[in-house]
Amino acid sequence: MITFFKDIIRGALSLIKGMLVTLKYFFQAPTTLQYPTQKLKMAQRFRGLVDLHKEKCIICYQCVKICPTGCLAISHKQGEDKKKQLEIFNYNMELCCFCGLCEQVCPASAVYLNKIYEIALYSREKLHVDLLEPDKYAEWNNAGDNH
Amino acid sequence: MTVSAQEAIFMIMTAAAVLGFISASAMFLIWFERKVSAHIQSRLGPMRVGWHGCLQSIADAVKLLLKEDIMPSGADKVVWWLAPFMATVPAVMAFAVVPFGRNLIVKDLNVGILYIIAVSSISTLGIMMAGWGSNNKYSLLGGMRSVAQIISYEVPLLLSIITVIMHTGSLSMQKIIQAQQHLWFIFYPNLALSFLIYIICATAEVNRAPFDIPEAESELVAGFHTEYSGMKFAMFFVAEYTNLFIISAVAVTLFLGGWQGPLLPSFIWFLIKVYAVIFVLMWVRWTFPRVRSDQLMAFAWKRLMPIALVNLAVTGLVLIR
Repeated sequence: MITFFKDIIRGALSLIKGMLVTLKYFFQAPTTLQYPTQKLKMAQRFRGLVDLHKEKCIICYQCVKICPTGCLAISHKQGEDKKKQLEIFNYNMELCCFCGLCEQVCPASAVYLNKIYEIALYSREKLHVDLLEPDKYAEWNNAGDNH
Repeated sequence: MTVSAQEAIFMIMTAAAVLGFISASAMFLIWFERKVSAHIQSRLGPMRVGWHGCLQSIADAVKLLLKEDIMPSGADKVVWWLAPFMATVPAVMAFAVVPFGRNLIVKDLNVGILYIIAVSSISTLGIMMAGWGSNNKYSLLGGMRSVAQIISYEVPLLLSIITVIMHTGSLSMQKIIQAQQHLWFIFYPNLALSFLIYIICATAEVNRAPFDIPEAESELVAGFHTEYSGMKFAMFFVAEYTNLFIISAVAVTLFLGGWQGPLLPSFIWFLIKVYAVIFVLMWVRWTFPRVRSDQLMAFAWKRLMPIALVNLAVTGLVLIR
């Protein structure tokens, strides 16, 4: 008889406890993001597409050497002021494994991985990018935060 | 019985008004439930159709209207066809005695509350027919469970309502509200207990979680309405939400002072109270897990029944004294 009432009281209290939990969540802001209009801010160490600060590059070829898949291709020429000038900085996204070694090895912090994550495309040709072009990632740039 | 032209027009108009209110209310409640459940689960719910998805239910209704009406082979045709109507019509009929406002009631029967209880029990038949007619084991199990559940919970439900009737001495909905002029019945300790019993039993009566074993998704697909599609499914849906409105309206009438309240017009007070009760029921639904079949029966017969009986006896003693 005593356990009968004990059970009822304990049960009722636990029900109230549960309802308070859901009430708390009811008044909290939802965690859902309205994806195409609202976008998640990528973490600081997120590894997106390989990108380049042109002016910082010292043309040391270290990124090309360390790249495990060989997706970077650089060539340079001697400028009129006897200084090296970048001629080609090609990036083959098809091969890239987003390991970030190029970013780590770059002594001038010229090569970096940006925050673009919506990288699906309709044509394969667009996966071969010339990093020297100023608006090479224009198609993707609406995604995420750039550097 | 002869009916004059004026009376006939009045009857048709009230019927149209009630039907309009029912469909609008059901659509609002479906949207409301989706929003409440979403926010309880840290989601947003419908957001795309209209402001915060407020037109979502209309879009869904249009979709359901356009859907193909499929009948399973081997279904009991007549029973299968009649079932959605048997489930919906009682829900609509119960609106006849719901007191929306001071003078806003279709017909203030002198046996109003008895009428509601009697009529709303018929919708069980619709569920049973749907379960039997579908020729589907899940539907049949859902229908059987529903009948067992509703028969069990009807008993404490009626016992809790009787305590209110003992206080008022009348079965008329308007008289019950007038008896609460000075103090709502929920503030009497014995009637507050009756209110709790009533709300629990009413939740079970309309097959809502945590008592939704007749349509337990994880066991029975969708229970009695597994085989229904298109508008027939929509009718079960409307019946479900209309019943939800009815039980809340009865709760408000019996325990929360009905349409009585200061300043605002009476029907607004009534709707505010009803939707508050509905919110609590939704809150309960999205908080608790479904109970097992045997737990459900044990709860009705071993917990609610004795408590309701003792409450009845105590109310009798209080009134005699």
